[in-house]
Amino acid sequence: MMWSNFIWFALPAILLWLSSGALVYSKKNERLSNLLMLAGIAIFAFFIAGFWIHIERPPMRTMGETRLWYSMFLSIVGFVAYRRWKYPWLLSFTAVVATVFVVVNLVKPEIHSKSLMPALQSPWFVPHVTAYILSYAMFGSATIGAIIQLWKKDQNKGVFNFIDNMIYVGYGFLMLGLLMGAIWAKEAWGHYWSWDPKETWAFVTCAAYLGYIHIRLRRNKKSNTVALWFVILAFILLMITWIGVNYLPSAQSSVHVY
Amino acid sequence: MTESRNRKIWSTPWRYAESIAVVVALLVIGYLLQIVVGEFNFFLLAKPANYVIACVITFICIAIGLRCTKSSFARWLSGVEMSVSLIVALLLLTIIMGFTPQTTHSHSLLGFDVMTSSWAFVIIYTITLISLGALVVRRLRVFRIKDYGFYLNHFGLWLFLLCSGVGYADMERYIMHVREGETEWRVYDDDENIKELPIAITLLDFDMDYYPPKLAVIDLENGEVLPNGKGDYFQIDNDIPKGNLNGWEIEINQYIHNAVRNSDSTYQEVHMPGATPAAKVTAIKDGIIRTGWICGGNQAQLFMTLSLDDKTSMVMTVCEPRKFISQVEVYTKSEKNISAAIEVNKPLRVDNWVIYQYGYDNNAGRLSSYSSFELVYDPWIIPVYIGILMMMAGSLSMIWEGKRRKESENDVE
Repeated sequence: MMWSNFIWFALPAILLWLSSGALVYSKKNERLSNLLMLAGIAIFAFFIAGFWIHIERPPMRTMGETRLWYSMFLSIVGFVAYRRWKYPWLLSFTAVVATVFVVVNLVKPEIHSKSLMPALQSPWFVPHVTAYILSYAMFGSATIGAIIQLWKKDQNKGVFNFIDNMIYVGYGFLMLGLLMGAIWAKEAWGHYWSWDPKETWAFVTCAAYLGYIHIRLRRNKKSNTVALWFVILAFILLMITWIGVNYLPSAQSSVHVY
Repeated sequence: MTESRNRKIWSTPWRYAESIAVVVALLVIGYLLQIVVGEFNFFLLAKPANYVIACVITFICIAIGLRCTKSSFARWLSGVEMSVSLIVALLLLTIIMGFTPQTTHSHSLLGFDVMTSSWAFVIIYTITLISLGALVVRRLRVFRIKDYGFYLNHFGLWLFLLCSGVGYADMERYIMHVREGETEWRVYDDDENIKELPIAITLLDFDMDYYPPKLAVIDLENGEVLPNGKGDYFQIDNDIPKGNLNGWEIEINQYIHNAVRNSDSTYQEVHMPGATPAAKVTAIKDGIIRTGWICGGNQAQLFMTLSLDDKTSMVMTVCEPRKFISQVEVYTKSEKNISAAIEVNKPLRVDNWVIYQYGYDNNAGRLSSYSSFELVYDPWIIPVYIGILMMMAGSLSMIWEGKRRKESENDVE
């Protein structure tokens, strides 16, 4: 399965996800909507598996490849969270955001050769990246929840509960990704934390979500609003960590290529 | 924020207003110190000072943690509002750090370019450690097994922050360059000073493997890859022998990964250090057919290009390394003698030292006559790893349980 085949998997997946996101609002089509979403995820996962086999290395090295995983994890997280909390908007929004990332990959692939530099050839590579991208997907869905919650004047306790859970579980994955990265760095470069620009921003992201978790330990109307804005701020910082760092003057010597 | 409309600041119990005020005061003190005495020198913490400091911090944490039942100050210092204020302060400092290129010696008044050694950062880090440690002690007094996630995360983080912070000064890192067939025990530190270590390394052999190279069309006048601005490359891959490159239809007729040139300018497969990748390529455009061998060359062999027309040629790029590996014998003063292969991601542990594959002669590549190693001594690594493993277990508990704890106006006591 080569990159040039991607469009034949991407377009059907987008079509399935979006129609699922549209149908989920009607009660009688709920089952169909679930099936469409799952079919989209299956097609997308099938492509990633085939592509992995073709390039003979984990497809996690370049920016475009991490976007591929983000689309898949976001659709999975969106589906599972929808099944658990029953918010139809969750399914629609995650379908839309996953689609956006697929479209970016169609327009600007940034997928390159089979080569994988020696430092990345490690058993930590796959769990490090997948844990991170999975946590990003969860934080993405929590951010959607926070925006909805700020939009609606009367704050829904259930939505808050959903945001809390997404951030707790997402934070667990974020920390696992970070700590596995630290152990890996010790194996590859001799130190577990070097304040490389990507590491600095990973710390920033981590501290931001840690701030949210601790703000939520005291609850009243004002701290609820502050907490919701904190979710949005944290996600902006996360985007800088993931995508923005490469463009910063402070990051010209970073060991992270994406 | 809570109750702030009905109560005056500084009346107990202290909440957000007081916490923010104290953290801002700490930052102001930090920056005044920075302006007056310059950056904090971490190497003042070298052994034995760091053992004393670690003990003092631990003692302070225990003392404050135990005072929490009686003292509202101790409760505040280890409480939620203070922890949020400290986290936000660390967040702001590291955001500034993320936007400022970091150096080793400060050129700025406030030390933004040496953030982790700036007084403000060191003070906030230390108070965070004390607040966190005190909280762990406070919660251990009312130990509940179902809070295992809390203990793993908070104690793990405390151990990690303490040992990585004070242990930094005891870490030693050196570079050793060893020529093939020779034995070396002299190393260089960051400032290029030579030092002798109780470890010697003999380099028996250094070898590399490469990924297949790419092909490109270049402008013969300036050597730029065409089309200008965004060069087009064709990755050689046995699964995909045909493709397009800058308007030419190309086909790889034969690819030899370890090739040596014959006298008639063809290539044959020979496994020897001077071998280099070569490909026989056919290129077609507008009825013009060009066929020939292309080779990137190395120190032992000349490169070979395929001339397409007066202005352009097809060339092979420099290969990216797949792996580089050093066969070594390591001798120690403790009379150990170890044979090993060291490569990236596979360091060698000997006594308290870890030996990493560091580099080689980039121009010579596979023909490099030496290999460089980094030797690292880090006596605090064990407690740091314990901290990391505890936090990993704590993260798993968060994934497993999600948000469980109910909100409370006051902390568990």
